[in-house]
Amino acid sequence: MQRVATLLGALLVMAALWPASGLDMSARAQSPIQADGQNPMGARPTADSVNEEFLFKQSPKITGRISIPDGKAANLIQPQGRQYQMFREGWLPWIGALVILGMLAALAAFFLYRGRILTDHSQESGKKILRFNAFERFTHWMTAVCFIILSLSGLNYIFGKRLLMPLIGPDAFGALAQWAKYSHVYLAWPFMLGVIFMVVVWVRDNIPNRIDWEWIKAGGGFIGSKHPHAGRFNAGQKGVFWMVAGFGAAMGATGLMMLFPFAVFDVNGMQVMQVIHSLIGVVFIAGILAHIYIGTLGMKGAYDAMGSGKVDLAWARTHHDLWVEQEQARTASGPQVASHPAPAE
Amino acid sequence: MLTKRKGGEASRSKHQAVAAGLAAGVLDRRDFLRKSGLTAGALAAAGSLQLGSVRKAEAAGSSAVGPDTVIKKNICTHCSVGCTVTAEVVNGVWVGQEPSWASPINRGTHCAKGAAIRELVSSDRRLKYPMKLEGGQWKRISWEQAIGEIGDKLTALREKHGADSVYWLGSAKFTNEAAYLMRKFGAFWGTNSVDHQARICHSTTVAGVANTWGYGAQTNSYNDIRNAKTMIIIGGNPAEAHPISMQHVLSGKEINRANMIVIDPRFTRTAAHATEYVRIRSGTDIPVAWGMLWHIFENGWEDKEFIRQRVYAMDDVRKEVARWTPDEVERVTGVPGAQLRRVAEMFAKEKPATMIWCMGNTQHTVGTANVRALCILCLATGNVGKPGTGANIFRGHTNVQGATDLGLDVTSLPLYYGLVEGGWRHWARVWEVEYDWLQSRFDEIPAAPGRKGRSRKENMEAPGITSTRWFDAVNLPAEQIDQRSPLKAFMVFGHGGNTVTRLPEAIEGMNKLELLVVADPHPTTFAALDARQENTYLLPICTSLEMDGCRTASNRSLQWGEQIVKPAFESKNDYEVMYLLAKKLGFADRMFKNIKVESNVPLAEDILREINRGGWSTGYCGQSPERLKAHMRNQHKFDLVTLRAPKDDPEVGGDYYGLPWPCWGKPEIRHPGSAILYNTALHVKDGGGTFRARFGTERNGATLLAEDSYSKGSDLTDGYPEFTLGVFKKLGWDKDLTAEEMATILKIGGDKPDTVSWATDLSGGIQRVCLDHGVSPFGNGKARGNAWNLPDPVPVHREPIYSPRPDLVAKYPTRPDERQFRVPNIGFSVQKSAVERGVAKSFPIILTSGRLVEYEGGGEETRSNPWLAELQQDMFVEINTGDAAERGIKDGQWVWVTGAENNSKTKVKALVTDRVGKGVAFMPFHFSGWYQGKDMRDFYPKGADPVVLGESVNTVTTYGFDPVTGMQETKCTLCQIAAA
Amino acid sequence: MARMKFLCDADRCIECNACVTACKNEHEVPWGINRRRVVTLNDGKPGERSVSMACMHCTDAPCAAVCPVNCFYTTADGVVLHSKDICIGCGYCFYACPFGAPQYPRVGNFGSRGKMDKCTYCSGGPEPDLSTAEYEKYGSNRLAEGKLPLCAEMCSTKALLAGDGEMIAEIYKQRVLKRGYGSGAWGWKTAYRETVAI
Repeated sequence: MQRVATLLGALLVMAALWPASGLDMSARAQSPIQADGQNPMGARPTADSVNEEFLFKQSPKITGRISIPDGKAANLIQPQGRQYQMFREGWLPWIGALVILGMLAALAAFFLYRGRILTDHSQESGKKILRFNAFERFTHWMTAVCFIILSLSGLNYIFGKRLLMPLIGPDAFGALAQWAKYSHVYLAWPFMLGVIFMVVVWVRDNIPNRIDWEWIKAGGGFIGSKHPHAGRFNAGQKGVFWMVAGFGAAMGATGLMMLFPFAVFDVNGMQVMQVIHSLIGVVFIAGILAHIYIGTLGMKGAYDAMGSGKVDLAWARTHHDLWVEQEQARTASGPQVASHPAPAE
Repeated sequence: MLTKRKGGEASRSKHQAVAAGLAAGVLDRRDFLRKSGLTAGALAAAGSLQLGSVRKAEAAGSSAVGPDTVIKKNICTHCSVGCTVTAEVVNGVWVGQEPSWASPINRGTHCAKGAAIRELVSSDRRLKYPMKLEGGQWKRISWEQAIGEIGDKLTALREKHGADSVYWLGSAKFTNEAAYLMRKFGAFWGTNSVDHQARICHSTTVAGVANTWGYGAQTNSYNDIRNAKTMIIIGGNPAEAHPISMQHVLSGKEINRANMIVIDPRFTRTAAHATEYVRIRSGTDIPVAWGMLWHIFENGWEDKEFIRQRVYAMDDVRKEVARWTPDEVERVTGVPGAQLRRVAEMFAKEKPATMIWCMGNTQHTVGTANVRALCILCLATGNVGKPGTGANIFRGHTNVQGATDLGLDVTSLPLYYGLVEGGWRHWARVWEVEYDWLQSRFDEIPAAPGRKGRSRKENMEAPGITSTRWFDAVNLPAEQIDQRSPLKAFMVFGHGGNTVTRLPEAIEGMNKLELLVVADPHPTTFAALDARQENTYLLPICTSLEMDGCRTASNRSLQWGEQIVKPAFESKNDYEVMYLLAKKLGFADRMFKNIKVESNVPLAEDILREINRGGWSTGYCGQSPERLKAHMRNQHKFDLVTLRAPKDDPEVGGDYYGLPWPCWGKPEIRHPGSAILYNTALHVKDGGGTFRARFGTERNGATLLAEDSYSKGSDLTDGYPEFTLGVFKKLGWDKDLTAEEMATILKIGGDKPDTVSWATDLSGGIQRVCLDHGVSPFGNGKARGNAWNLPDPVPVHREPIYSPRPDLVAKYPTRPDERQFRVPNIGFSVQKSAVERGVAKSFPIILTSGRLVEYEGGGEETRSNPWLAELQQDMFVEINTGDAAERGIKDGQWVWVTGAENNSKTKVKALVTDRVGKGVAFMPFHFSGWYQGKDMRDFYPKGADPVVLGESVNTVTTYGFDPVTGMQETKCTLCQIAAA
Repeated sequence: MARMKFLCDADRCIECNACVTACKNEHEVPWGINRRRVVTLNDGKPGERSVSMACMHCTDAPCAAVCPVNCFYTTADGVVLHSKDICIGCGYCFYACPFGAPQYPRVGNFGSRGKMDKCTYCSGGPEPDLSTAEYEKYGSNRLAEGKLPLCAEMCSTKALLAGDGEMIAEIYKQRVLKRGYGSGAWGWKTAYRETVAI
């Protein structure tokens, strides 16, 4: 529900801002002077003078001509700034708080209801299988660390002045915010690189297929008794992958626009970039919170995949049976690190 | 939220904060800029990189108070409105500018240039020391070396080619004193080729107006426009050229709900505020004026009584006007008859009405005739000589009126004394030099094929070469130039090189000169455009903000400017440079006989006193430096509209602000000046007057003296001639002269004392007695509808040389070829050839030029000021949307504008707009430093190049000169535009 | 206490740019930063009007609202000022400003666009009034000297009015009544959520 509301909100704001963005053709369309321009008979410049109301009827913002090269300066009045203000200060903190706190609440509720999903020790095979190689793990962690810092520094843009500033005072907060800004704009680059790596490395294993449908129908194993089949990544993980790829691309694109302001868009376009960036940002954060939950607290054994890279074969068989089969079929021994047997419990 | 209370501790000014730094000797203005958090680099990381680094503001301790701020007042150098500049100076550094609330002219305000003028003085793009070209490279030299080498070369050229081989170009940015000194310098050097910017802005106004009613100047004032109920602005764009004047224009428009009619080919920023805009074809001002007058005569709207009393030969005008029926006017000008009728009716009936014009009217081959036509329009409707009426001519530079008055002109001596023996003898008396010695300085011209010889005396009385033709006098074959030798040397003071038309030919001339000296705060185009290798000198001159002296604003008010700061870098003021040159050339003792010189710097006050002693003809005699300084001190006492101070004031009681000339008699008699010329409603002692009886008393049986019209309180209640001792004797007024005055008159008169006049009487007695009798010293004449001494006694329309309407050329051809000002003017042949070659087909767009508010003149100075340069970074051409669409030209793209002569071309940006009509293009004239697509920045002395460079419009302007003054045609030529 | 506002009488403004250079002169504003500018509407056509625009010192200023570090503050005179020490150069205030007032030393946003700079209504910043530090960061503080912003004081045709909102609105009203026309108080609706009723 929250997501629907968020999306609706974003769409509304964008709908309000888009018409004003980009083209100022509309302001130029009117031309009271005769086509031949020769003798505007009856031109009474004082009587015919334009006014604000008249110009606002023609275009949502008032644009003219200015001799300095800065084209932005030719905008005289663009009241959309007020709408942007309303979104950023009126809606965004609430949306952000609701989405993120809502997700935390949902996770907490789930945890309380379901507790930690455990894999019984007795079920462990003691054999490890390599799930993520070093490069994959590096990519994941580089992206993850960047994401966390970007999230915090990003949230600081919305909540810092509300939460932190009263605590530490304006001077310290100013300095902190400056650092946060530096980290946000510089870590954006390794983050974007990480997302690109992830897509390159994992996209093959994340193409949706029929099995995913079955997995979803089985609710990832919660519905019914039998654990559904899954390849290297189950549908839930694929969801995370595509969220990271999609949101990452969107955050990267809108972020780049803000790193190079006005390179492509005018001020209204910039406002829209801002809105998209912030809305996707909070949703992204909420989504990743769920990912973090399931990868750590939520499920025993899941962390190892990205920690050491190796998972217990039994765990793998339970959750990614098809992948294990595939791996084992590829090599007799499989890619598992089986040279030394796992110590008996 | 942070909050901070304002107020409470307002004792310290920002300048004290500034002073704290200055006093410590560690900060100059540039340091502030560097230290300021505003400079790009400083902001970045440095301040905020350390965590928690928010700097605590260190309040400048109260113990660090520096010296007090000194307030200095000078006059803005950028146009003729005459805005007072109030400078705050700390320790000799100009640190701030404040509004000059007290000035009745600008009342605290400025335009972009005035508000940025502080930068001129400390601009690091100024010419910093004398330089010369050696092998094409600029080399720094000392002043001694510069003056020594220039002097030696001048002497050598003089011996070999004669005095007329050197051209002395002065400046409208001179103070009055410097302008006068330069004209005097020309006389002592022995040439009449002494000119300045008035040639190319309002020379035709001066000629046209003076030939109509006596004096060549604005009749009323900017402030007086507040009284007008109708104002016509024709060929002027004061919103950009004279922004402060618009304060008065728009106030008048609002207070009186006045009609403000703008007649112009271009829908200017001024037109945007008009109540009615009339678009005309460039170069058809006379048909427009006659078209209006046709309606006025047709409907009997003329002021018949005024014409009877004060105008000569209006019937001759009627004959010409009768030809200009509404149909013919519309055919020639494009203005519909109904609109012109409406405008004519307003001008004739909703009075007082004033006519305002500027260079759109003057810079034509018919400039003088244009001016005359507008004057006649004023005369026919009785709109002269009263508040709210008159010819309000907005002149260009800060002191172009004063420099014109003081004779930086090839046809006259200071204050319009003619180049005749009487004029020369008058000034010889003032200067206390022998007339014969002056004569000996001039060349004797031997006869040659195609020209008669001239004796020294004849040459002394022959007008010089106009500044519009100087390069023709270099380039043309010697036999076509009517003097001993073509020009060999060019001495340029405060004048851009890109201001003359036909720039490709001017550059050829620059390259041929044997000596080129540029004395200017900036290197100017002269230093950058040519391919010269040697014999070129740059002398750094300070701006007039860095020197004392007075300036005459367009309304004839003189304002004393005090030196704000010492000349920057190694620059010297004009007085000193002229003194040094005179000393080197050996006539300093004669020239500065009555002028005190302190360590090589002549005293401005003394120069003005000498002007006062000789300036009778124009009423420059009453404005002593003491009176002018008192006016600056008491600015706030003058009325905004009448410009008059209350009579009871001890220092300036009853004076008009700036003692607008004519200010009769010696300073001691305290004439108040004349705010409105020819105003018969006032006593002469209150600034009243009559039309000047300048052209005789009778012609063809008709009187040239006024009939039943006289100024208030006049003892003579009819017209009268100008006053001489002879006239005095007839009236018995000679008895009113004191013995001392009489003695002076008799001494001047020699064996013909009766000829000594109000203008040559050095005692001032004749003027004093005239005032006592309530009469104008210059007589009470009629203004002339027919000025028989001009080529076209009644103005007739003549098509521009490059007419876009070749079909009209046969009916309205330009004047025949003729030699004028020592060089041939072959306008007729050029026009004929252009029609025959069908130039209007290959160059179908009318090209006109004009001002931008940010820049001035040739623009070197203003384009070197970053505050202004930032606002106009590219040379452009305004092209109509239709023309642009036909040529596939988009707004902002590069285009080539090609001219009709010299295969000239300019690469500029297109500004697509309906501001110009279809078939019309406009280019500003302030740019230079690019030439036919090539960036010439490297040719400037390093560090003295302007911030912004661009193509000069004059690269593509063409032939065409007014026969009366040599004015160039800048407002109407033909061009073609193509995408680059 | 006065509530300071700007009002540009477009029927007087002739785009002479004095306000722009006066500002540069008073505060030594460097190339590329324009605290004030003049925009011409309907350029070259009958009805053309020019309006001088800078920070309007809005009521409920959007820039202040969206600033992530709350570096803005409103003085008792209603002037919206900011602290360059706290500003992080994020550029949000420009996105929010209806008048394009905030300016940055750099175009790109790597690290920082530099400290935002804008019209201070000639009243400096948070540093002590008329201190050197204040001058260096924000330019001069005319309000503390009992003067109004130089742009308005030097306006060639007295089109740009500065001062207490009610007073300048009254001056404008009188003008419109006298002359019979007026194109309104440009930007007032957006900035102050009010208009000058005549």
